[in-house]
Amino acid sequence: MDSHNTTAKDTQVPEDIVLCRACDLVVSKQQLPQGVRALCPRCHTALYDTPYCSINGMLAICLAALFLYFPANLLPVMELHFFGSVRTTTVMGGATAVLEQGYPVVAIAVMVAAVIAPGLLILSILSQILLIKYAIDSKWGRRLLKLLLTQQSLLTQLSMLEIYLISFLVSAFQLSDHADIYFSIGTFCFTMLFLSVLFLLREYDLQHMWSFLDEK
Amino acid sequence: MKNSLQGRDIGICQCPVCQMTNDVSLGACPRCGTQLKCRNYASLQQSWALLITAAVLLIPANVFPITIVTSQGKIAYDTIFTGIAHLIHLDMLPIAIIVFTASIAVPWAKIIGLAIYLTAISFRIPIPKRVLMTGYHIIEWIGRWSMLDLFVISITVALVNMGQLMDAKPGPAATAFALVILFTQLAAKVLDTRLLWDRLEAQDDASRTAENR
Ligand SMILES: [Zn+2]
Ligand SMILES: [Zn+2]
Repeated sequence: MDSHNTTAKDTQVPEDIVLCRACDLVVSKQQLPQGVRALCPRCHTALYDTPYCSINGMLAICLAALFLYFPANLLPVMELHFFGSVRTTTVMGGATAVLEQGYPVVAIAVMVAAVIAPGLLILSILSQILLIKYAIDSKWGRRLLKLLLTQQSLLTQLSMLEIYLISFLVSAFQLSDHADIYFSIGTFCFTMLFLSVLFLLREYDLQHMWSFLDEK
Repeated sequence: MKNSLQGRDIGICQCPVCQMTNDVSLGACPRCGTQLKCRNYASLQQSWALLITAAVLLIPANVFPITIVTSQGKIAYDTIFTGIAHLIHLDMLPIAIIVFTASIAVPWAKIIGLAIYLTAISFRIPIPKRVLMTGYHIIEWIGRWSMLDLFVISITVALVNMGQLMDAKPGPAATAFALVILFTQLAAKVLDTRLLWDRLEAQDDASRTAENR
């Protein structure tokens, strides 16, 4: 472990260069104005931006998202009126209905993208914030933070709230030809959940979160 | 254009997990412990394998019915294509366009686009890298929107269950379609795009000078 540390010092990479993750080009890092993103000059992949990552701001949005998460997933999102009979469904109900029909793969896909991944994403960011605020000096805190940050990009990719929102509209239009469709309170909660996660991810900067582990 | 020094030339590489720039000789990233490699050559084969699996699954996804709708005793088996044709017939053009984009345009574009991309790397075909990379960014961004159709099916199936009067069930194509999405997303994610910029260096410059003439 000691020998590792000495080699680390010998092989220190200069602070002012950055590599493009898509094409490996060496780019010299420059100071950017607020809200501007640096692109790779060769392949136009996003390289870095100025982190606008306020820990307390994120904490507030995170709590709001967590508060909205349960009504958004448990309250009915859509109502169908057809010759006097009324059917309602929740986000979770959609997945279980497909499962009952014998399509576990589809059910898992829907469940992960619309329910599990967004939930874990909110919980993960909340824990990261709390760890950075209160447990960054402890060994277990740093280890847990590292673990959460490693999984972060996977969770972001798996969570598909925006697509689910559009699919409400598409199914409402499709079904409106046969029956009367009403949106319920769940739709409102789900839209608000989507917006809060959108703002949360806009504020969140993975690179900046990693940098908390560098400071000793 | 002269300034095209790559990280590999000076022995540094970016950590694939935490994006820290490191010296390759370290072996593992000092921040997150991921193994450091200049290039992931195996990713090309893995990406091909996933893409071919996805292409094969695209056939059942389009041939078999994706929804089975019972309306007043009559049973209709809708494939992806007939479903969209049905929407156009009902004068729901905007919805038809959305469903067409999510269920047909995006998966096909993803598979054909990735196939061109991988062929260009594997067989060193001189297609301008800039074009390929733009295509790759678009594929990366729109790929997930194929999930739309599965969400719509799940909502419809949960709402429409009134027996003989009106009933909707998913069809076998739904599973195939879910797997197509999974495998195409993995094929794009697993690929080390830096390979493209190594392998096409000479050819692409040749094609660019030819364009200038
Ligand atoms: Zn680049
Ligand atoms: Zn790392």
